[in-house]
Order: sequence, then C-alpha cells, then structure tokens
Amino acid sequence: MATKQKRYEALVKALHGDLFRYAYWLCHDKSIAEDLVQETFLRAWRALDSLKDEKAAKSWLITILRRENARRFERKRFDMSEYEEASITDTISVGTEQELENHWLREKIAQLPEEYREPLVLQVLGGFSGEEIADMLSLNKNTVMTRLFRARNQLKDALDNEPLMRGQHNG
Amino acid sequence: MDDLQFRRSIYADPKTTDKDVRAAQQADPGKRKFAQDIEKLDQDILDALKVPVPEDLYDKLILRQTMSSHQQQKKKARIQLAMAASVAFVLGLTLNFMQFSSAYTNLGDYALAHVYHEAEYFSNQEAASVSLASLNQKMASFDGSFSTTMGELIAAEFCRFDSMKSLHLVFQGLNSPVNVFIIPKNKDLTFSADFSDSKLRGKSMAFDDADIIVVGDKYESLEKWQENINRNVQWST
Repeated sequence: MATKQKRYEALVKALHGDLFRYAYWLCHDKSIAEDLVQETFLRAWRALDSLKDEKAAKSWLITILRRENARRFERKRFDMSEYEEASITDTISVGTEQELENHWLREKIAQLPEEYREPLVLQVLGGFSGEEIADMLSLNKNTVMTRLFRARNQLKDALDNEPLMRGQHNG
Repeated sequence: MDDLQFRRSIYADPKTTDKDVRAAQQADPGKRKFAQDIEKLDQDILDALKVPVPEDLYDKLILRQTMSSHQQQKKKARIQLAMAASVAFVLGLTLNFMQFSSAYTNLGDYALAHVYHEAEYFSNQEAASVSLASLNQKMASFDGSFSTTMGELIAAEFCRFDSMKSLHLVFQGLNSPVNVFIIPKNKDLTFSADFSDSKLRGKSMAFDDADIIVVGDKYESLEKWQENINRNVQWST
C-alpha cells in the first residue's frame, strides 16, 4: 500500500503539470481541465497496478484523459457549443514582452482546428514521436505528420502576416 | 532533397533526426535559416502551450486520492463488519437451534429421558403434598382441570418439556413413582402411543388441546392410569 502510494505521488508530481496543460488545450477551460486531470488521476490510482512501465505512464495518463474528455461530451451534449474566443485567453496579467508573445501565440494555437492542435500539443509539450502520437490518436503516422506540418505552417503564416498587430503589443 | 519536401519535414518535426533532412540543411544556408526559424517558432509554441498550472493542483490530486482510498477502506471495513455480523448471526441461529430444537424425535423417548433425569428428586415414599386446587390452578394454563387428584400426588410442577411449558405430575405408584406429563400439542415430536425401555413403559393420549403421557414401571397398570385420567380430566374449550 505504501509503495503504491509513493508511486502514485511520484506520478502526480512528475506529470500533473503536463497533463493539466494537455487538458487545457483539449477543452480551453481551466476549471474543466482541472476536473479532467482529477478524474484522470483518480482512475489512474485505481488502475495503477496495471501500469507496468513507468516510461509509458505519460501516454497512459493521456489516454485516460482523452477518454474522460470524450465522456464529458457524452454526458453533456449541450456543452458542445463553440467556445467563446474571449474565454480562451487566460486572465494572468501580461507584463513582459515574452508573455505578450505567448499570449498572442496562445490565441493562434487555440484557433487551430482541433485535429491539428492535438498532435501539435502532444509533440511539443508531450515530447512524443510521430509514431507514438499516431498510436494515441488512432491515426496513421502520415496523417499525423501532415497535420503537424499544417499546424506549424498555419502558425508560421499567422506570425508572418501580423507584424503590425504584434508591433502594437510590443509597443 | 527539394525545398518543399525539406520544409514539410521540418514543419512536421523540427527536431527530426532524419539523415537526409539534416544533410540538406547542412548543404544549404537558406534551409539552415528556415530550420532555425522553425526551431525558434517551436520554442515559442512550447512557451505558449505552457499555460500556468494551478499551484494547488498537486495537493488537490493527492488529497482527492487519499479521500477516495479512505472511502474505499471504509467500504471494505463495512463489508468486513457485515460479514462478521452475518457469521455471528448464523452462529447464534445455529446455537439457538441446537439448544431449543428437539434432541428427541418422538414423545416417548423424550418422556423417558425426562423421567430418568428427574428420578432422583422423587421418592415413592413421599407423602402426597399437592392439593387438587393447586393442581387445577396449574392445569388452568392448559385449559383443563381434574375432578380429583387421581391418587397420591407427590409433585406438580411446570417444566420444560422439549422447550415447551408443560405440566409434570408425579404420583405414588406401586413400586416407583408414576409420572404424568401434560404437554401442549407439538409439531416437532411425533406422537408415540406406546413406548418402553428396559425399566419403564409409557402411554400417550391425545386430546384436542394437549397430549397426556403416563410413564411408570412394569408393574404399573398404565391402562388404569389412563382410564383414571380420562375420567377425571375436563377441558374447558
């Protein structure tokens, strides 16, 4: 029991940040993201014995979280309305130039189509390879690579096409 | 590698370790510049993706798990308690059943055992000490009465006859006391009209409200006792 507890605490400590961020980019809502992470870890605790390989922990947790997120839509069909763009901008005060840039980029990422954004988050934030992402999302690898290409391509275009906007932010 | 394919590869994975892509990058300053730009973009994306994590999330997660496993333990404890209670209950039932259920299956065996069990308390030489009034007072609980005491009545006591309240009468007999039991109707004991062992004999009579059993030794005319009882007993219902 004690070792299970320790394992669990280590798992939470190491991965709750990444998992929360991943959840946030799935649902664009901090409190829902928190709920998702809580549900995910609770399920993880119950099934912890089935996790044999610690290296696989992250993808295991993400799989649970995606399932939880899908269940959320099964439960609440009415919640599926498009999110307000205003709600995706976080409320922390943007001070430094870096934060301004982050803020701007966050909006752009949030505006990416879901199917492009998810592999991007998994790759950049999760550090997963194309194969691993394909596995998690049940897609083939070529599709994943194409979506990653499009995601970055769109972000790059947005970046290149809005120098004025960014200038205002910077000034 | 042409430029388009190079760009696609870098866009798809800026950290690619593909040899062809890396070689093309080395060979062409333009491609190198592009790769660096995208790597910069990727760093920015990473920074942007790192939304602040609620500070208390870790504590909340640990707390939630602790509560949940506590609940599970409580549930387990409840189940264990319930199981212990069931075992105790069954044990109690068994004990109860063993204590109060018939060790004997028919009236005769039981009556004989009863007589032997109490034989030492009664001597045939004892004087009659029970009056008709006190006999009938006791008989009243069986809705019956006797018109005489039918002989020298040494004792008349309520006793447990196979966990039923019954009336045990002890009369002076020829050689040894004669025992008469008045017992309520009992489904668990089969009625045995005649029974005997090496020393004692017994006869049972069934009435509507009760059975009356007479037990005496070989020299006793049980038929006479039965007749006597039959003549003297009245049932009020």
